[in-house]
Amino acid sequence: MKKILFIAFAAFFGTILSSFVNQDAAGDRLIGVWEPSNGRARVKVEKIGAKYYGKIVWLKEAVDPVTKQPKTDKNNPDPNLQNAPLKGYRMLKDFVYAGKDEWTEGTIYDPLNGSTYSCTIKMTDKNSLEIRGYIGVSALGRTDIWKRLEVKKK
Amino acid sequence: MKLFNLHKQAAIAACFAFALTNLAKAQSDTTKSPETETTAEDEDFSMYDEVGFADKGAKRYCSPKIEGLSPAKLISLGFDFQGPYKLNLDAFNNNINEGWAENNKHTITSGARFACNIPVISKTSVVWQMGANYWESGYQMMKQGPLAVGYVENPMLKSLYTNGLRTMGINTTLFKPLSDKKFLLFQGSADMSGDYNWKLMPARYMKYSAALIYGKRPSERKQWGVGLARTYRAGELNYIPIIFFNHTDAANKWGSEVLFPARAHVRRTINSRNMLFAGYELEGQSYRLYRMESIRNQDLEIRRAEIRLRAVYEFSLKDFIWMSVQAGYRINYRYDVDRLTNGKEIYRAFGLLSDEPYIMQNTLTNPFYFNVSVNLVSP
Repeated sequence: MKKILFIAFAAFFGTILSSFVNQDAAGDRLIGVWEPSNGRARVKVEKIGAKYYGKIVWLKEAVDPVTKQPKTDKNNPDPNLQNAPLKGYRMLKDFVYAGKDEWTEGTIYDPLNGSTYSCTIKMTDKNSLEIRGYIGVSALGRTDIWKRLEVKKK
Repeated sequence: MKLFNLHKQAAIAACFAFALTNLAKAQSDTTKSPETETTAEDEDFSMYDEVGFADKGAKRYCSPKIEGLSPAKLISLGFDFQGPYKLNLDAFNNNINEGWAENNKHTITSGARFACNIPVISKTSVVWQMGANYWESGYQMMKQGPLAVGYVENPMLKSLYTNGLRTMGINTTLFKPLSDKKFLLFQGSADMSGDYNWKLMPARYMKYSAALIYGKRPSERKQWGVGLARTYRAGELNYIPIIFFNHTDAANKWGSEVLFPARAHVRRTINSRNMLFAGYELEGQSYRLYRMESIRNQDLEIRRAEIRLRAVYEFSLKDFIWMSVQAGYRINYRYDVDRLTNGKEIYRAFGLLSDEPYIMQNTLTNPFYFNVSVNLVSP
């Protein structure tokens, strides 16, 4: 009887464990390199802990035309961050996989104006994301389509 | 029993190993420190120079914006004030007996302005916005000289001072990128303008305006286009060519925002949250005189247009709440009255197609004006 109970317990525990693993795998589809529609940057999404973050890894115009130095986050409202290089900057933060191909609870930062917006991400197919940045309510926002990139091996 | 104990120990060991693995993973994750805004020092980014779309059929489209452009206003609530100035009304001609000349009426004009533009579809391949606006112009007489015995006020003047003028409308904007460098821009609006109150006028008095622009966006800092507009900005119906030109210099200090002939501004960017503008805007609409029964059936419309030479300061109050303060000089371009026989619109084409005279030609002196608004700006 105890053996049966143990097997039932193990099966139950295993099911829960595997659902977590599957959830993890589904969420991890966000990991990769993506390009916003304007082609101005490339963003690498990675997982840190249970959350997803995206950092700028390429800029169409990497050098500031005035200073001739690599671009920094000069529009950031925090003066301490205005000298931070834009390459490597985490513009997507704190996304959590919510199921149904959606990642929520995150924010997106726009280096062009130094503003941070609430953001949701929806994967419409394995190579396309709808990134919606908004103010307060989703209706007051803008959606951009990001495309997955394949990094060519050197 | 021994077998059960073995299984139990194995299960506990597995759980312990699982927990340890996760703990180790979490510890290694914290070394990456997600709170750090930048990770530039520990990565070679050159590997991202050579990439291709994973979806081979994917296309790039140009964005509706360029770098450095002033933020688009989602919701705007403002107040506009002109004056004082002298309002001189001509006598109605063309056998309308109810109107006679009124001169040197010292007047101020002021009113609230509300506008909103909400994105309906905002995708890479198409951006569609719908908006609504409400502007009012209240007319107030500053001083009144001695009046002749038996003086009866001109009904149009009486309507202006008691009812004022209003414009209420809806509009739509469609941005359709054709490629990563070319785009089409369509704007359309339906406006009801007149001396009505909350009881609106019949829908047949709505005025329809539209513009279509074909444009190019050769770089991140420049976009331009040419097109055609049906507009009432000069007070009366016109079909005119339009030029669209937005530009930002490399240092993001200077730029221009032009939709000629409607408006043109030079922009000075202090930083991304503080901008100064200098330029002009041509404002106008055709207002139906509807409230006064004595002239309602005469099909009269005030063809009002003014040029506003101005300086504008726009700045962020907090995050996405911006304030706009503008001051300038209002130049009267037209304040004449047309009679639209049987409601038929008059299209003069600047005198090329028709030289039909106005029923009333009025003059307004030119005052200083100011306008303040609080705006919720778009991402």
